[in-house]
Amino acid sequence: MKGIRAFLIFLSPLLVAWIALFLGAYGVTPLMVIKILLNETLHLFEIGDIPEKAIIIDIRLPRVILAGLVGAALSCAGVTLQGIFRNPLVDPFILGISAGAAFGCAITVGFLSFLPIQFTAFVFAVLSVMIAYAVARTQGEVSRLPLILSGVIVSAFFTAMVSIVKFLVDPHKLQSIVFWLMGSFSLSDWKAVKIALLGVLSGVIPIFLMRWRLNVLSMGEEEAKALGVNIKRERLLFIGFSTLAVAVATSLCGIIGWVGLMVPHLVRMLTGPDHKTLVPLSISAGAAFMILADTISRTLTSFDIPVGIITALTGAPFFIYLMKRAGKEAWGR
Amino acid sequence: MLSIRDIYFRHKGRKEDVLKGISFDAQPGHITTILGPNGSGKTTLFKCISGLWKYYKGEISFNGKAIDKLSPRKRARIFSVVPQEHEPPFPYSVFDVVLMGRASYVGLFSTPSKRDYEIVEEAINTVGIEKLKEKPYTKISGGERQLTLIARALAQNAPVMLLDEPTSHLDFRNQINVLKKMKEIAVNRGLIVIMTLHDPNLAGLFSDKVVVINSGTKIAEGKPDEIITESLIKRVYDIEVRKSSIDGKSMIFPVI
Repeated sequence: MKGIRAFLIFLSPLLVAWIALFLGAYGVTPLMVIKILLNETLHLFEIGDIPEKAIIIDIRLPRVILAGLVGAALSCAGVTLQGIFRNPLVDPFILGISAGAAFGCAITVGFLSFLPIQFTAFVFAVLSVMIAYAVARTQGEVSRLPLILSGVIVSAFFTAMVSIVKFLVDPHKLQSIVFWLMGSFSLSDWKAVKIALLGVLSGVIPIFLMRWRLNVLSMGEEEAKALGVNIKRERLLFIGFSTLAVAVATSLCGIIGWVGLMVPHLVRMLTGPDHKTLVPLSISAGAAFMILADTISRTLTSFDIPVGIITALTGAPFFIYLMKRAGKEAWGR
Repeated sequence: MLSIRDIYFRHKGRKEDVLKGISFDAQPGHITTILGPNGSGKTTLFKCISGLWKYYKGEISFNGKAIDKLSPRKRARIFSVVPQEHEPPFPYSVFDVVLMGRASYVGLFSTPSKRDYEIVEEAINTVGIEKLKEKPYTKISGGERQLTLIARALAQNAPVMLLDEPTSHLDFRNQINVLKKMKEIAVNRGLIVIMTLHDPNLAGLFSDKVVVINSGTKIAEGKPDEIITESLIKRVYDIEVRKSSIDGKSMIFPVI
């Protein structure tokens, strides 16, 4: 039963991606999507220069792949942070990592355009998670409620800093910052896909390889140490890699919250808490979820709704549900 | 043999020592119990031996080799620690919890091997919790959790096992069950077992050696029925007790 579920979750991104490719303003039949993809990859037969080809290959495919990569990154970071902070209620958005990365991007777009945007995003993302962690940490342990509160504080601070940038920046640049901050895939192209692939994979692959240790780390500092874990080093590695993935994702498509919170929870409910399976399945499900959310955001109305709005509309009620279900325990140690 | 020599500990920024030069030895196949009232330094000593807290003077050596400056990974192959039972944030299965005992053998970028799974199965069988294997650790009783943690320590394959008040959250039946199991494992595997306990009678029934500490110094050390006496209890706990013998086991009971 668990095996079948795991298999379905694992394959879900492919299925969702296929659906996402034939849905849209310009109708393309499901079969045509497969034909075009086969033609492009295997060159089995010639279909000529039909308009569908350009729509699928140049517009929809990079967008779907980018959404998948970003979803995978956010979800992987979410499950990692939940594990190392022993806190089922955190994700990159709640801990302020997304806000930190957004500030890094905003100052680069606004003033420091000579710096690579992914670099500043990463620097400020690391800074924000370190502050959130340092504020919440007392006597070697990080309790749940203080961590969420310090995340809120860090998030508020960097959001205010972004506002300062918006206030000071050249009006021509302002529009692109504002639109990008809402979180959207509407500007996807193959160049963005390449950056995402490089950045996201360099964060996600190490986490995938180290995933079993999240079980041990989630038992708490003293216990993990007694079990032979170099807790400071390993925690730092996990924070570093997950922050890298989030920073690159944020630099490409703005702030998209809640995915890292919701997806690991759903996977945990379906296939259990063991990180050995939870991490890869969260990566898959995160990709599928994001592609789905993005497809909804571009097909629901005649214009492109920022996908960040869709994820927040589903994420906020989900958070309330988790809080109510876990009751008092959620706020304890 | 594990020997603890002249351990001094003080908390950061404090002037007075919590441990004032404690020494004792612990033998393979024996249970050595640290006994003492609250605030005696019992827990501090336990944390110093398990390597969680750093003592500023003294030496701990295993088979003649000093082990004060080992990395967590190497240390975990000599010492396994059974903490007081507690609830983890995620409902891992009992098997997954026991598997965590293999952390010091599994590489950073790797997952447990087939051999690790076999060792875990064996540890689970030794403790006798086969039926619990697939159950969530969060949904079993306190006694069952303690046994799971003992199985995890066994899976660690370390020659020394440290137990922090293994009976403190358990009912009477489970206290006896857990300690009986521990005694059996210590003898069969030739483990050096060191634990802290609150109850002098339980210490007397299950230990080969008792180390009594108070105010950070060792008061007495030796075979339980020889050193747990009316006068020692009066001195350490400041209560009147009488000592008696039932079926060849000496017991103390308070005068009320």
